Amino acid sequence: MASTEDKAAKQESATGWKDSFYNPRTGEVLGRTGSSWALILLFYLVFYCFLAGMFALTMWVLLLTLDDYVPKYRDRVPYPGLVIRPNSLDLSFNKSDPLKYVQYVKHLESFLQRYNDSQQDKNDDCPPGEYFLQDDTEDMSKKACLFKRGFLSLCSGLSDTNFGYSEGKPCVLLKMNRIIGLKPRGDPYINCTVKRDTPIQMQYFPSEGRIDKKYFPYYGKKAHESYVQPLVAVELLLTKDDYNKELPVECRVEGSDLRNNDERDKFLGRVTFRVTVVE
Amino acid sequence: MGYGRSDSYRVATTQDKDDRSPKKKKGAKDMDDLKKEVPITEHKMSIEEVCRKYQTDIVQGLTNAKAAEYLIRDGPNALTPPPTTPEWVKFCRQLFGGFSVLLWTGAILCFLAYAIQAATEDDPSRSARSHMFDRLSLCLQLYLGIVLTAVVVITGCFSYFQEAKSSKIMESFKNMVPQQALVIREGEKVQINAEEVVGGDLVEVKGGDRIPADIRVVSAHGCKVDNSSLTGESEPQSRSPDCTHDNPLETRNIAFFSTNCVEGTARGIVICTGDNTVMGRIATLTSGLETGKTPIAKEIEHFIHIITGVAVFLGLTFFILAIVLGYSWLEAVIFLIGIIVANVPEGLLATVTVCLTLTAKRMAKKNCLVKNLEAVETLGSTSTICSDKTGTLTQNRMTVAHMWFDNQIHEADTTEDQSGASFDKSSITWISLARVAALCNRAQFKAGQDQLPILKRDVAGDASESALLKCIELSCGSVRAMRDRNKKVAEIPFNSTNKYQLSVHETEDLNDNRYLLVMKGAPERVLECCSTILVQGKEQPLDEELKEAFQNAYMELGGLGERVLGFCHVLLPEDQYPKGFAFDTDDVNFQTKDLCFVGLMSMIDPPRAAVPDAVGKCRSAGIKVIMVTGDHPITAKAIAKGVGIISEGNETVEDIAARLNIPVSQVNPRDAKACVCHGTDLKDLSQDQMDDILRNHTEIVFARTSPQQKLIIVEGCQRLGAIVAVTGDGVNDSPALKKADIGVAMGISGSDVSKQAADMILLDDNFASIVTGVEEGRLIFDNLKKSIAYTLTSNIPEITPFLLFIIVNIPLPLGTITILCIDLGTDMVPAISLAYEAAESDIMKRQPRNPFRDKLVNERLISIAYGQIVTAGFALGGFFAYFVILAENGFLPTTLVGIRLNWDDRSCNDLEDTYGQQWTYEQRKIVEFTCHTAFFVSIVVVQWADVIICKTRRNSVFQQGMRNKILIFGLFEETALAAFLSYCPGMDVALRMYPLKPSWWFCAFPYSFLIFVYDEVRKLLIRRNPGGWVERETYY
Repeated sequence: MASTEDKAAKQESATGWKDSFYNPRTGEVLGRTGSSWALILLFYLVFYCFLAGMFALTMWVLLLTLDDYVPKYRDRVPYPGLVIRPNSLDLSFNKSDPLKYVQYVKHLESFLQRYNDSQQDKNDDCPPGEYFLQDDTEDMSKKACLFKRGFLSLCSGLSDTNFGYSEGKPCVLLKMNRIIGLKPRGDPYINCTVKRDTPIQMQYFPSEGRIDKKYFPYYGKKAHESYVQPLVAVELLLTKDDYNKELPVECRVEGSDLRNNDERDKFLGRVTFRVTVVE
Repeated sequence: MGYGRSDSYRVATTQDKDDRSPKKKKGAKDMDDLKKEVPITEHKMSIEEVCRKYQTDIVQGLTNAKAAEYLIRDGPNALTPPPTTPEWVKFCRQLFGGFSVLLWTGAILCFLAYAIQAATEDDPSRSARSHMFDRLSLCLQLYLGIVLTAVVVITGCFSYFQEAKSSKIMESFKNMVPQQALVIREGEKVQINAEEVVGGDLVEVKGGDRIPADIRVVSAHGCKVDNSSLTGESEPQSRSPDCTHDNPLETRNIAFFSTNCVEGTARGIVICTGDNTVMGRIATLTSGLETGKTPIAKEIEHFIHIITGVAVFLGLTFFILAIVLGYSWLEAVIFLIGIIVANVPEGLLATVTVCLTLTAKRMAKKNCLVKNLEAVETLGSTSTICSDKTGTLTQNRMTVAHMWFDNQIHEADTTEDQSGASFDKSSITWISLARVAALCNRAQFKAGQDQLPILKRDVAGDASESALLKCIELSCGSVRAMRDRNKKVAEIPFNSTNKYQLSVHETEDLNDNRYLLVMKGAPERVLECCSTILVQGKEQPLDEELKEAFQNAYMELGGLGERVLGFCHVLLPEDQYPKGFAFDTDDVNFQTKDLCFVGLMSMIDPPRAAVPDAVGKCRSAGIKVIMVTGDHPITAKAIAKGVGIISEGNETVEDIAARLNIPVSQVNPRDAKACVCHGTDLKDLSQDQMDDILRNHTEIVFARTSPQQKLIIVEGCQRLGAIVAVTGDGVNDSPALKKADIGVAMGISGSDVSKQAADMILLDDNFASIVTGVEEGRLIFDNLKKSIAYTLTSNIPEITPFLLFIIVNIPLPLGTITILCIDLGTDMVPAISLAYEAAESDIMKRQPRNPFRDKLVNERLISIAYGQIVTAGFALGGFFAYFVILAENGFLPTTLVGIRLNWDDRSCNDLEDTYGQQWTYEQRKIVEFTCHTAFFVSIVVVQWADVIICKTRRNSVFQQGMRNKILIFGLFEETALAAFLSYCPGMDVALRMYPLKPSWWFCAFPYSFLIFVYDEVRKLLIRRNPGGWVERETYY
């Protein structure tokens, strides 16, 4: 008895399984007739259209509340990060093999395009040592202070198009992240150290790695269109002894209130990278 | 005690002649064998034949050597305990059963994905993209895997301990006292352990003993046994050496294992021991029965199918999408696994378990102890209740119901304060009747109960006599005093040949030296002894007219299913029986003829007070109540009518035949809604006929059923698709209890075996508690639906962020940790609180759910949960909050699309936002995690509306009200928890959740409000257009 019951149940489920895809008797596809499908799909179409409209509406309201020039909150970026160019935390090349360092050189070259005299001549030469504060004008646009490539001297790529890489004395450019309204107190400068017992010679451009206050504050992409960040170049004057070794270099922003010792954010006001030059 | 009508039944109830008629059942052979009736034939043999069969001696008993030989051959005389499941198996069942499978699969998939990625970790060809991806999903997979495992293990332990606690209560029921038996071996009486009794042993039992095995009585002295553990009927039955019936269960010369000898002594030969005894067969049958899955287990299985289907469908869709979008195979597989796992509702297992536990606790408070957690819901699905009569529907306490004297039937007053008096108590006839009933009665109250109400006192003695004692004590005051005033001088106790009992007393009147002879017994026997009758206090000759009046009264009371006793007395003439006359009761030397008939009293085991109401409630709840009893059909029918199992105005075939005065065979069985089916007839029915009866009669009483037949009735009901509950207390009920979808045993009167077999125990033995169980069961089913709907709604919004993350390359809007915080944190209390939700409508007024159509989780629930509420509220609310935070921090949506690769690139520390600011990795991650927190908070905000939506399925919240305090607590709890997770210092390190600006809490408010309004409108449409499109498509 039990077995016949099972059989019947099995048969039923077998036909039920097939029928659930297409039932020829009722013309149902996946348990619904055509009109039923149409109705439910129409419902979902209308429903989702409505939802999309609702979402669009709220997003529109959101965009209305936003300012075009300044983000509503800037408390998540109180201090700038410090990054290096070439954009790699592991500089490793053979100084006698141009193929190995050409990528860095190209990178630096393209990065410095914005600092060419042709670009920077349009910008103002503002007084050094003080913030370049500008009041709101009608069209909101702000002027920018010039930063010429030439300020970087040996690392400008003008005199040495290889940025010292061919000589085993590579240049690294350091820049602080742009943050709207940031006004560092004190006199910020970049200081790099090698994390090992014997220090190596380094040369900073502009001198002492100073970042002039005149480049602050930043007024945002839209208002401050021609703004360029101040750069600091550091040339690692490696000697023969330093070749074929991995040199951990740490650079920090010092001499100001900008944070450079955050526990979690290793790029806040500082940057650590490794340099390996093979002879 | 076989008085009067009770005996006339015996004639009517010719028992199963052909006990071994083969039943057409396939399957395990020995099980079928057990389902057949008992194959004992010894009762029909002479004592000598029995002795020969067992090679024993009627005087000397077995020799010790023979006994030892038999003991080795047959094994000890004990029931093989049912194979107990080892604790670890039970634990594993909790750990790997039902819903847990889903979570285990999820966990395994997680670890698998983790392993795949860990294995490819060192792959040098990894791109930057896969680097960031690893970090993300490695965490995700491992976290999720561990959490899933933890959830399953914790929930498994929880329900294991919950059930272990219930079974501990069960343990306490067990009676562990080892039994002793008095056997005669080699002519000497020895007291041995009952386990050592073997077939052929000559045993002696006396009042108070437990019968050690099935024995064929060879001699007896006033021996009575209580077969209640076997038949459910507690009426003591006398035992004598004569075969009185073909059916071994009915005959007087067999006493059964584990029944009790209540009085007298008997000697008998053991014919069956251990598992071969009648009791042993029932116990083996019971433990051998396989029980199906509980309805809720089936529902959960169905739910798992649905959810797996949805998960695999979504997973595959996005697997294909990922491939199309150009992800590698490995990444696509990991997406697939991730999406499948994200679909697993982590918190649901715990929620369901807790909901069931809460209901079980609530039911335990109302005297329903649930042994198996899943059985909590089964009563709610029940469509048929097969109830035993004695002790379940009735009080199992004989009570005087009617009296006939002065040519009139009077209703007895059984109220404690005698407020319901319906007759004149000053009538001389009544006083005489009361005196006879009090004096000719050996029952007496046990000592030390004077402060108890009379009806609650314990009585030593036979059930009928106790009933009389209580009745007289109630209406006439102390019986003891009356007996003291009328000292007993002689007595002939009841025996089955006389069918009467008489005693001779001194009279109260000190000046009257006559003796008073009082007699009670089977009415027709008593009447034979009488020549006069007392009417209105005057003795009248017993003429034909009065005899007919007596007959009519006797028939009428008998027809009510009551046991009738006749009473007569006579004052013996002083000249023949002077004071000090020596009455000889053995060789009767006094007048037992020409007595004066006084009246009749009839007794019944009355239904419990709450039962008719409970049966009515079951009926209005669409539950069919079937009475299955071992008692006689007339009594069964009377009680069935009394409690409403056969409702007023419904007739059986026999009733119709009697009314129309035509033979039973001419009545169309379809005309009769009610049916009283006799066990003898049941045996001859084919399966189809059986189905026919069950299908075509709404009100059925099965009388004189054997344990095997009870089982067959339950199977018949289940065959017709019913979910069957069985209530019972005796061992005879236990196979049916086990087979039933839910067996309900009686906690006080129930036997151990029945409690073992049952899923639920009524601690107060009250049938009405079942109604509570049904109500709770239905409520929890509804509420589980709501809980699941609630939990599932937060499930999809947890996947959508991941999907958008893959498709439009935006930063991940919701992380794994926050998903787990929702599933296992904020969602838990509100989901559980829905278990406390009150019913929307009178759940006891609707039909039981159809297990084939009304599913716990159906496609409409999925459609509502996944398609509508989710998208409307959660996903959009959460995404809105996400976009708000990013936009207000500088990343407008336009910038976001496609930003993912750089965003998740650890080495990119000057990512530019829409305003030209540059962000380090850590800075933008904090914003991202703030978004996760906001998404999480938005889900909590939308869950406020969702839990209020889920409170009802049809009613408006404004109709339902907010009276569920736990739910309100849940709302506050989840909000507080969300706030805590967001604002508690240290959370940024521990869970990577960051404080939100107050305004961000409000992002999801419009969506929360939207889904609330949407759902109210939906429910309004459902209410306005019952059966309309909205209801068909969206009512879950």
